[in-house]
Amino acid sequence: MLNGISNMLTNHWFWGALTIACLAWYSTITIYVAIKGAGDIREMLRKLARGKHSNA
Amino acid sequence: MTNFSVLDGSIVGVYLLVTMIAGIMVRKYVGKVEDFLVAGREMNVYLGIASLAATEFGIVTCMYTAQNGFEKGFAGAIPGVLTFLAMYLVGYTGFCVKPLRDSGVMTIPELFEQKFGPRVRWTSGVVIVLGGLLNMGVFLRTGGDFLVSVCGIDPGYHEIRITELSVIGAGVVRIKFGYLEIMMTALLVGVAVYTILGGMLSVLVTDFLQFIVMSLGLIVVTFLILDRVGWSTLVNTVQTNYGEGGFNPLKNASMGWSYVIFNALLNTAAVLTWQTQIARVLAAKDSATGRKVYTGTSFFFVARFLIPGIWGIAALALLTPEQIGGDTLLAMPKMLSIVVPAGLMGLLVASMLAADMSTDSSYMLTWGSVIYNDIMAPFRKVPWSEKKGLFWNRTIIALIGVFLLIYGLWYKLEGDLWTYLGITGSIYLSSMSVLLIACCYWKRANSWGAAAAIVCGAAIPALTLILQKVGPYTEWFTQNGTVCGVATYVIVALAMVVGSLLKPRF
Repeated sequence: MLNGISNMLTNHWFWGALTIACLAWYSTITIYVAIKGAGDIREMLRKLARGKHSNA
Repeated sequence: MTNFSVLDGSIVGVYLLVTMIAGIMVRKYVGKVEDFLVAGREMNVYLGIASLAATEFGIVTCMYTAQNGFEKGFAGAIPGVLTFLAMYLVGYTGFCVKPLRDSGVMTIPELFEQKFGPRVRWTSGVVIVLGGLLNMGVFLRTGGDFLVSVCGIDPGYHEIRITELSVIGAGVVRIKFGYLEIMMTALLVGVAVYTILGGMLSVLVTDFLQFIVMSLGLIVVTFLILDRVGWSTLVNTVQTNYGEGGFNPLKNASMGWSYVIFNALLNTAAVLTWQTQIARVLAAKDSATGRKVYTGTSFFFVARFLIPGIWGIAALALLTPEQIGGDTLLAMPKMLSIVVPAGLMGLLVASMLAADMSTDSSYMLTWGSVIYNDIMAPFRKVPWSEKKGLFWNRTIIALIGVFLLIYGLWYKLEGDLWTYLGITGSIYLSSMSVLLIACCYWKRANSWGAAAAIVCGAAIPALTLILQKVGPYTEWFTQNGTVCGVATYVIVALAMVVGSLLKPRF
């Protein structure tokens, strides 16, 4: 694993570093957005339901 | 022969079922047109990031970015880097998107009416829909090609015979069909059902699920490819096939400065005005939230080009010319059908279906919103009731679905997919981005300049498409699509300036 990362950073480092950054960013942001986004959906639907009732 | 098994089919089936149920369940929250088109403007940052990322990555994206990797090496990922820079800067500074969201409009042409008048609003709507639908027209066939290749389904045509009995006698009706067409139709009908019922709310909720499944599939498959092929092999393959041009776009014979400049202009214009992207800003709670969605999603655009690009390079490394055949667009799915094992194949297909469904639903909704809000607006002498408005929005989405099936089945793509998408997108991106910048920041801009910009922005890309197919210079226009693209943006900006200055001031 470490050998692989080291190879990516020495062999055409720009694209290697960008690939590592993409995978790291994607792996972390997916979990973070999955947790926080679920909260956003709940809040959005609650507000819409409340707005619908107040309109009625 | 592929590794797609019953287990994989079950994974895909469960995913489709969960998405459809989630998409349909939220329909009860839709009470007004504003709920349907912009989710009542209640979208928050993380849902916005998930939705924007899911929408902007479809099978078609994966196919053309992988084709870029296959044909151009790592340098093919440069449009992703340019989009990242553009989106981050726009989000950070609020350039155009802040005044747009603060104005409270539902579409960009609605803002134009305030500065340029109702005619420009209507014409802008027509140009946006024309460019957007032409662009989206190739999505279904490309998605179908991917699924047929990866799953190893025989794409050959089959014939069924139906014995027909009528008062004039008995006969046989022959219907010819292929699996690709059936898959395309089934996929679109599924997406259309929840989009028609729940509008932007269904789009956001299903996008969220699709973002998670899609991301999981992309990460796992990329790690698998890096493990099986290895970084050194990928780099050596690019070096052997393309030399330094495979790493540096300026040294690549098929790219160069015109490619980089065209993509910088194209992607900046898309960030500012592409209907599916700007719809997230307009659906956001406020302009600050919209800007955070942009900055938070911006780096995703590097991954959007680089990850499938690596898949394309892996196809170049692993497949023989005989295995690839004549179509480089299909190299990546052919490689995946060999490399990805059973079990993971289900995750891959589910993630690609997720990517495609989120893109299709959002595209149908956002272009439908322009038809309803801007093109049909002059025909509404009296404001419509919410019920009537919702009926028309749903009807428009259904009609867009029918159009996509017909155009998606019959259009034969010439040249590479990214250039086609760039040119058809430029039909409106060039003029709309110039109009938006002028509308927000140039006091002297007026309807004459706007009209001149719209005419030039639509005419030049359309003319390029025609000249790529007929006339004595088809080869030159096919090879120099990016030069024509850059020329479009320059001419449109000049048209706005000259047209505006020519109009007398009273």
